Amino acid sequence: MDNADVLLLARAQFGLNIAFHILFPTLTIALGWIVFYFRIRYARSGDAAWLATYKLWTKVFALTFAMGVVTGITMSFQFGTNWPGYMQKVGNIAGPLLAYEVLTAFFLEATFLGVMLFGMNRVPGWLHIFSSAMVAIGTTISAFWILALNSWMQTPAGHVMDGSQLIAGDWLQVIFNPSFPYRMTHMLLASGLTASFVVAGLSAWRLLHSGEDPSARKTLRTGLMLAAVLAPVQIFVGDLHGLNTLEHQPAKIAAIEALWKTERGAPLVLFAIPDDEKRRNDFAIEIPKGASLVLKHDANAELKGIDAFAPNVPPVAPVFFAFRVMVGMGALMLLVAWAGVWATREGALPRRWMLWAFSGFTFAGWIATLAGWLVTEMGRQPWLVTGILKTADAVGGPSGAQLGASLTAYIITYTVMLIAYFVVLTHLAGKGTAA
Amino acid sequence: MSLDLPLIFAALMGLSILLYVVLDGYDLGVGMLMPAADAHEQELMVASIGPFWDANETWLVLGVGILLVAFPVAHGIVLGALYLPVVAMLIGLMLRGVAFEFRIKAEGWHRELWNWLFWFGSFLASFAQGLMLGRYITGFHTGFGYYVFAMLVGASLCGGYVLLGSTWLILKTEGTLQKKALGWARWGLIWVALGVGLVSLATPFVSTTVQAKWFDFPRTLALMLLPLATLAAGWMVWATTGRLRRGEREWDWMPFAATVAIFALAFAGLAYSLFPYVVMDRMTLWEAASHPSALKFMLLGVAIVFPLLLAYTVFAYRVFRGKARAGLYE
Repeated sequence: MDNADVLLLARAQFGLNIAFHILFPTLTIALGWIVFYFRIRYARSGDAAWLATYKLWTKVFALTFAMGVVTGITMSFQFGTNWPGYMQKVGNIAGPLLAYEVLTAFFLEATFLGVMLFGMNRVPGWLHIFSSAMVAIGTTISAFWILALNSWMQTPAGHVMDGSQLIAGDWLQVIFNPSFPYRMTHMLLASGLTASFVVAGLSAWRLLHSGEDPSARKTLRTGLMLAAVLAPVQIFVGDLHGLNTLEHQPAKIAAIEALWKTERGAPLVLFAIPDDEKRRNDFAIEIPKGASLVLKHDANAELKGIDAFAPNVPPVAPVFFAFRVMVGMGALMLLVAWAGVWATREGALPRRWMLWAFSGFTFAGWIATLAGWLVTEMGRQPWLVTGILKTADAVGGPSGAQLGASLTAYIITYTVMLIAYFVVLTHLAGKGTAA
Repeated sequence: MSLDLPLIFAALMGLSILLYVVLDGYDLGVGMLMPAADAHEQELMVASIGPFWDANETWLVLGVGILLVAFPVAHGIVLGALYLPVVAMLIGLMLRGVAFEFRIKAEGWHRELWNWLFWFGSFLASFAQGLMLGRYITGFHTGFGYYVFAMLVGASLCGGYVLLGSTWLILKTEGTLQKKALGWARWGLIWVALGVGLVSLATPFVSTTVQAKWFDFPRTLALMLLPLATLAAGWMVWATTGRLRRGEREWDWMPFAATVAIFALAFAGLAYSLFPYVVMDRMTLWEAASHPSALKFMLLGVAIVFPLLLAYTVFAYRVFRGKARAGLYE
């Protein structure tokens, strides 16, 4: 087996793991806060319906959190096993950021989760509320460190060379690197949208399957309202994030726009089938001068194409399509959320087909998030750390056979886990809070 | 004053791994004991570890995390050499972790399936950890004898976790389940005695480095305190389980405490065998350490967070002190 195959297997395995892992934190980061909100509502009102709501959603949270924890442990091993070159080259920067995540977030969330889930009758009310808050804060801090590291890999800053070693010159610059504020906001909003659609979707499922349930109507409304507010904010922040990428990672933007040649007045490619071999678009539908206008606010401005960055360019087709999936899902989610808010106005119960639509959109956030991560991670290629380390130079360690065997084992395990997750979630939602 | 940063981080890593082994050890042990209990007892067993398993597992992430970030070169060598047992352990931990959540919510044969996966995952993870330990202390030498040795360590660690799990149950339960756990603990103790004995005898033969460190008179005489203390702790487990079996109610925490002492002593012996290597016979911890700037930045975080972390771990254990009750989510 040659090196190219090993690289491919190492990437496939890591990609599978990270894509599977990201599903769960994406949900729990915001769901932690939503559950906290339910807890506060119960504390304020003493209403049994809010208590039932809180209890149901802590179960969903616990389940999702456990999925995130176990896949996250796997990730902590794979950093070293699949990418030894990564730790050798940038370990002095990546290491401490990961360590801070474990120290400041993991223990906080894992320890207080026990109190939050099982301690309601064992500790005073305020302490239980405090524990719920700690869990939510923990998940958010976790996101902070991981996105700081990921953003640093995209737009490195604050590092210096000490002999042959790359070290941090200024930790604040490392953490608050140029793309970090945008990526962090974009990701937190993605989490908020994902969680609000899960809340709305499962509540709709409950209304469809267990008849009249006042708490399900409350949570349906909560989810839709939250989504309706967050969706337009996300579109705005996403645009800012894109402009930031144009400044720091122009090759990624060229791939997103399927712009092969540097030109003035570049067209906005709405749809095409980019051909990475021949470096051209087939079946393109374009708006003349559109890309220059959108990205530079000037119809005749020059935009750099793929040719300006060759040979260090990302694969265009997957980035191009993933970006359109993300934007398309975002637009659909906005539409569904606004229609939903209108359909539930003044406590109205939406028609059955609308409830089915909300149920269908339960995991819409996951699709958009995965597509977004594909854009940003594939768009960074061939670099692992932009301008510093190439993905191909970081691979090593296990043989192709070991990678192949373990990849198979992971695929089977993850498939079982995901099916079980869906079965239990629909079961929980179907039962309603009455049971 | 200059700090010996690699040494500090090696100590922290050792502490994290010891805490992991003891803490996750008891919940893995409880998982392995599941098939020996009836349905009602299984509920109690799960309830006794429910609030803790998540945080317990986090110590593994911290231990491996310190290896990764403080000794990156060693991390690559160690986990590269242990790749397949690591994968087996991870899959075991995944199955067990999610089975814990799923079995609470499942009914009928689904619950049976998750119970089985809970047991299987606990067993797989424990055995794989023992295997890793066995491969690690022999410096990853290949050969039939080395593999047999590693399997032996794997089986011994399972016994050790069963002992931790059953003594945990003695502490956290009462009545018939506690009676059963007393029996399990005695079997576990015999298993551990055989395992620790065999491993202690075999290690000097498979590693000349270890042999040189232990058989160096007169230091050997002082070192004999370790096995003696281990014997004393083992005797405490045997004696206190006997008293509890005769119906005494006090000291139900003693078997667990004595088991923890056995683990701490075995760990100390192991640490002594290895020091100053982080990869046996190949790399010392100073050779493997990352840049001082990275270590300093992390030490700052550790100094601030570690006390807090211990404080709220103690807090969580205090909240859930006393005997476990069935019906976790009620």
